[in-house]
Parts: sequence; structure tokens; C-alpha cells
Amino acid sequence: MLRLITYLLQQGVATAKNICPDLAEGVRGLPMLTDAPCQSGCSACVDVCPTDAISVFKIEDNNHVRLDLGACIGCGYCVDVCPTGTIKNNPTTRVAVRTREELILTTSSTKTEDSTKTEDSTKTEDRTKAGADTKTGADAQVEAANKEIMAQLRQGRQGAKFPVADSLKDAHWFGRSVAARVVSTGCSACDMELGAAGNPIFDIERFGVHIVASPRFADALIITGPVSKGMKEALVSCYGAMSSPRVVVALGTCAISGGVHKGGYAEANGVENILPVNVYIPGCPPHPWSIIHGMLLAMGKEHLAPAPAPAKLKLAAATTTQTQEKRLKIETQNKDEKLS
Amino acid sequence: MKLERSQIPFHELQERLNQALSKTSEKRVGLLTSITGGELATLILSPKDGTAELMLTPIENNKFPSFSTRHAQFHWFERALFDFFGIVPEGHPRFKHLLLHEQYAQDFFPLRKIDLPADFKNHLARRYEYLEVKGEGVYELPVGPIHAGVIEPGHFRFSCFGETIVNLEIRLGWVHRGVEKRLTEVPWQKAHFVAEAAASDTALANAFAHAIAIESILDLEITERAQYLRTIALEIERLAVHIIDVGGIGTDIGLLGISSAMGRLRGKALGLADLLSGSRFLRGFIFPGGVRPVSERKLSEIKAEVIALRKDLTPVIQILSDNQMATERMKDIGKLSNSLAHEFGVVGIIGKACGIDCDTRQQFKQGKYPELAPPATIVSGGDILARTAVRIGEIWSSIETIAKLVDTCPHGEEKVAVPEKLPANATGLGIVEATRGELIHLIFTDEDGKISRYAIKDPSFDNWTAISIAIRDNLIADFPLCNKSMALSYSGNDL
Repeated sequence: MLRLITYLLQQGVATAKNICPDLAEGVRGLPMLTDAPCQSGCSACVDVCPTDAISVFKIEDNNHVRLDLGACIGCGYCVDVCPTGTIKNNPTTRVAVRTREELILTTSSTKTEDSTKTEDSTKTEDRTKAGADTKTGADAQVEAANKEIMAQLRQGRQGAKFPVADSLKDAHWFGRSVAARVVSTGCSACDMELGAAGNPIFDIERFGVHIVASPRFADALIITGPVSKGMKEALVSCYGAMSSPRVVVALGTCAISGGVHKGGYAEANGVENILPVNVYIPGCPPHPWSIIHGMLLAMGKEHLAPAPAPAKLKLAAATTTQTQEKRLKIETQNKDEKLS
Repeated sequence: MKLERSQIPFHELQERLNQALSKTSEKRVGLLTSITGGELATLILSPKDGTAELMLTPIENNKFPSFSTRHAQFHWFERALFDFFGIVPEGHPRFKHLLLHEQYAQDFFPLRKIDLPADFKNHLARRYEYLEVKGEGVYELPVGPIHAGVIEPGHFRFSCFGETIVNLEIRLGWVHRGVEKRLTEVPWQKAHFVAEAAASDTALANAFAHAIAIESILDLEITERAQYLRTIALEIERLAVHIIDVGGIGTDIGLLGISSAMGRLRGKALGLADLLSGSRFLRGFIFPGGVRPVSERKLSEIKAEVIALRKDLTPVIQILSDNQMATERMKDIGKLSNSLAHEFGVVGIIGKACGIDCDTRQQFKQGKYPELAPPATIVSGGDILARTAVRIGEIWSSIETIAKLVDTCPHGEEKVAVPEKLPANATGLGIVEATRGELIHLIFTDEDGKISRYAIKDPSFDNWTAISIAIRDNLIADFPLCNKSMALSYSGNDL
């Protein structure tokens, strides 16, 4: 035992100081859409996508890409085949969001038009003439198309037994600590990454997140996996045993949309059809940093993981700690004021 | 490997099984399933020469006399046959549903392709009845499906007398997602993603077995470099899982320093996976035809990292093995005898810890194995200590193997062109030694060259019963440690 303690002391502190840094070069994250215009008539990304997360649609002869990160398993094939660089690898680990809609990315019509102008100079005249009108027209069309998708998504949610009652407005209750119950219904990759988030390197507990063994003393319900028929009842009774306010975190692509299992006879189509979801963490599986980001979001503490400066990571680390210090100062000031 | 579908009548199948499963036989049974619901498909493996035989046996009236009465190994296979195909194994000693629960309709058999006979009566209720142990002072302890920690769901029904476990019945199927059916629905070029999702700590081994099976159907030779890289990836996956499982033993004994150190070191093993494939779980690395490209620089980094990892692991594992408290906690607990392990067809870590030579890396073609396979770690004892010893042995042999393969990995292309279409009426088999043991993917194509049946046999499917046997007459407090020492997959079993 003495040897173990000596060994541990020798190892020092392993915990990473830089919170939610970008992924190292060559490591696959989720894809993202860039300003580069999509090549007309190309559907290479749609053809290779294993989960139909990508669709291509046309507005005024311009190809547009819609990417549903909630269905994406991060295989990176679309990035490999995209000839124009419209779809790129996104190295960020800060991928969690509060609404399903935020996971759906669309190439902006305005940007596409701007870039087409520079590329295709013969048509410039026409375009400048039509100018503002076309832009708003195209924008409206993109918006309409997006709305349709959202409506479809919402339709899927109608089967939910619980109304969306516990909103994240209550998140401030969990600002200091959140007790989380984990219900696993999938392939265990997300569980293992959640376990990794608790290891000395990521140390999710330092943010006030701890995993508890009963729903009775849990504030947050973290669900991994697509919730197939077999687990539905157990999941609903677990949620029912939690007291309000409570938040539901859908961890991983399967939990969000069913992923590769969607639409099968086991009805493994994600959490949304069963429970109202407050935080979505996409990825297959999400990186431990992404899980931490999602839990910070659930606690309303996402300011602890600000976006690093794009070019120089080291500089970003410095600013992160600086802003943190500033925030801490402000917080303590506020407290003092309140006390006085 | 490519298989011929040989048709044999039922009585001959019975004879072949009796031969293959006799004590002196050098063969063993890989799996028992069906293709359409009108026949039995039995896979018999010959580990000695690395071959396999597939036998198709038509059945009459949708039923056959159960093999389980004579060969205990089949008891879950036959229950799964009824769940998915509606085929009745008559005389099965504990006949009930295995993976499909009460939520499914009474006559729902998802993989059945032919009509049920007109006079078919399904007498088995969906409602699950647990085996009840009666007697004064005997009580039941239900655990799950949702467990206390972060782990997959399963239900354990303990019948206890005082602190002693008299019987443990395990009910699984909570995470049944319909993977086998889904694999026949997606275009075969995209099927490897679904195969990976069968069980994600075995993602690479699943993709590997899938690729071997598809390539054998296509008669496709992949490049030497791809073979090396696949083998390296397989060992990286094994290394990462073994490290965390040995750490888990530390958690359950109460040596939290070991588990935190192992958790950190597993991160380094996952870093190797990141270097090789860009994914911590090696997702999307292997596909039919080859692997993703890997640069020479990354390979040399992997070499350096794996050597550093060996240096980091040495003191932690030494501290665990030297700790007398840990050793005594593991000794003679959760013991499985060699003969019962044989009888139930136990594979992988648990088999190796019972002195059974079941390391398929030595037996079947997979990547650069069996040519460059490390010596199998076979330990006798069958208890938790023996299983931990196997894991530790495999950690060292995996590190050696990775270092050796990186050194000798040839240059060249990583992938070859793959035909658009699969040949008709072909059968492909992929056997891979996953972390937990023998993983089998068996693929059948129909007359249009589409995948008509995709069967996966995860090593956990053979091994779950081993926990029930090993924990009998042990204390309830020993169960978590015993369970951890086996560390079986729920999702791989449930599919």
C-alpha cells in the first residue's frame, strides 16, 4: 500500500488545465460546413453517409448541403470525398447544444451566392441587378426547407409521454453541482467515454458533476444509446423517480436520433420520442471533453469552456485562465455585494 | 474464409455434433442458427488446421429435438433460434425467451423469412418466468436492468441463502437493437458501420471480422500492409480494454490508486488508436478492401508511445500483483472448472483462465495471424486471479506484438478496389480473437447477391452462463468482483 501511495505521489497531477481544447491534428471530430460553395450536381457526401445525415438540395441552381449532426456518426467519409471543401473536419470538442435545431447545419444561401459571384464572373451582372431580392428569396427558401425538417423532427416527438415541462431555465439550480444518473441503452462506447471523463486527466468531478447510483437523488438523467423497445419502460420509470427540477441529457448520436439503428423493428430511435431532452451531445461516441462541455451546458456554466483562439492554442490557454480569473473576480464581487 | 453450404439430414447432424463435442475431439461448435427459419445452420470449427464446416439441415414442422439435453453449450443458441425464427427446440430443459421481451407481439419472429406452418401454435408466453428456488430462508435479490454505475443494462436475479448465492439467473436482451436484421437492410458497402455498432469496445474486432467475411465472399486479396495495420489495430483495442479491466479489478477490491492510474494509462492506449485511425475507438479504420491510410511518421510515433506505455504500466501492474490483499481477495473466488468450461463451450479470457487453449489467433487466419501470433496466455485455476493473470499476460504480449509489427510493417498501398456487387449464394466467415474471445461473423448472400442473413456470435454469448456457474456458492459481496473479472459485453450479446 505504501508503494502505491509513493507511486501516486510520484506521478503528480495529471489533470488537464486547458478545458475543452480542440482535437489534435489528424483526429476526427464531427464534420462542419464551410463557406466554400458546393459543386453543382455533386452528391458524393450523400452517397457515402451511413446514416443519411446529409442531404443536398437545390435553390436557384446552387447546390446546398444540409448536415444533421444529431444523426452523424463522425465517420469522416463526407470530408474525404467532398471535392470543394464545403464539408470539413471540425476539431472542436465544444459540440453540445440545448436544442435539436442547433444540430442541423445548412450552407448559408447568402454566402454561397457571394462566393459563386467571384467564381462565375459571367453572370455577375444579372446577380447584382437582382441583388437583394434574390438573396432574401433564397434565404426564405432555405428557411422554409429547414422549417419542414424541424416539423418532421417535432412530429417524431409527439409520442413523448412527458410534456416539455422542466426547462433549462431551472439550470441555475445546478450551477454549483449536479448529481447525474446514467441510463445506458446502447453499445457502451458512450458509457466508456463518460467513464473516461471521470478519469484523472479530464476529471469531470472538478466541475461539480458526480455520478449517483439512484434516480432519487439525481438532478440530471444522462442517457446513452438509442433506447430500443427493451429499455423504454425502465428508462421512463427511472425518469419518473427523479424529482423536479431535472434535466435530461442525450449523450451520443444514438441517444439523439437512433444513429445507425434508426427505423428498425426494435424502435431504437433515440430519447426524444420518450422524454423531453434539455442537452444534446452529438458524436459517436462524443469525446470526453464534449461530454464535459454538455454537462457544463446543463449547469449553465458553459463560460468555463470558451472557444480557444483559432490559430495559437497556447495563447488560447492563457486567455482562458485569464477570463476565468476575471469571471471568478466578478462572481466574488457580486457575492460580496449581496452579502453587504 | 469462404464456406461451402453442405446439406445433411438431421440424424447425420446429430452424429456430427456428438463427434465434434466429444471429450477427445479437436473440433468445436462455432454457432447454431438458421437462415430463413426452415433449416438449421451449424458451424463446426477445426482449430487445429484452421478450417470450418457449415452444415445446413432442413427441419420439419418447424421443430427439432433439442441438442441442449446432451450438449449444454446449445442452451442459449436454441432459445435465440425460437426468439428470432420461431423454431421450437423440443425438450429444451429451460425453454423460454432469451432476448426479445414482453414488448414484442406474441408471434413476432424478426429474422424469419418463410411463413409459419398453418398449424403452428406458439405455446410460449412472452412473459418471462424466473427459476424459483424454494425452501425456508431462501430469498431473491433482483438487480437491474439499470445498474448503479455507468454500465450497460442487464437483469440479475439472485436466489440467496443468507449471504450465499444459491442460483443466479441472468436475463439479457435489454439493449437488443436489431443489429443482425439491420445488417441485411443497409447497402453492404455501408454495413461495416453497423457491424462496428454491435459492441463498441469491440468495434474494431467487429469491423475486422466483417471485412474478412466480405472479402472471402468476394475472393479479394488485400495488401500486405493492410494486413499488418489491421493486426496492429486489433492489438491496440485489446490493450485498451485489458488496461481498463485490470483497473476495474482495482476499483472492486478497493485499490483506487490502481484504478485511477490504469484509467490514465488507458487514455494513452486510446491515444495509440487516435494516432492510427483518428478515432479513440478505431471506428471506421477497417473496411472491406483495406484500411484507412497511415503515414510512416504515425507508425514510428506509435512504436515510441507503446514502448513508453510498457514502462508506465510496469510499476502499476507490479504493485497490483505484489499486493497480498489483492491476491487473496481474488484467489479461489468465482471459480469455474475446466470440465464445466468445456461443456458450456466457454471461450476467450474465461476459457484461457480455465486452462483451455482457445486463442483463435493461433488457429484461424486473421490479419498476420496465425503466422505472427504471440504465444497464447493459458493459465489454470479458473478463478478471478487466473482471469486477471490472463489479462495481464495479454497486455504484455499485445505490447510486444504491436512493437514487432510496427517494425516489420511493409510499405505500399492500404486498400484495393472492391467490386460493386457480391456474388450470389455465397457464404463468408470471419473469425477474430476479440478482446473477450472468439468473435464470429457469418454472412449469407441470396440469388441476387444481397446479404440475406448476417449472423454475429459475440464471445459473450458463449460466456454469460459462465458467470452463473462461477458465482454459485460464493458470497453476494463477491459478485461485483467476479463480474468485473469476466467483463462481458451486454450489447454484443443482445445485438
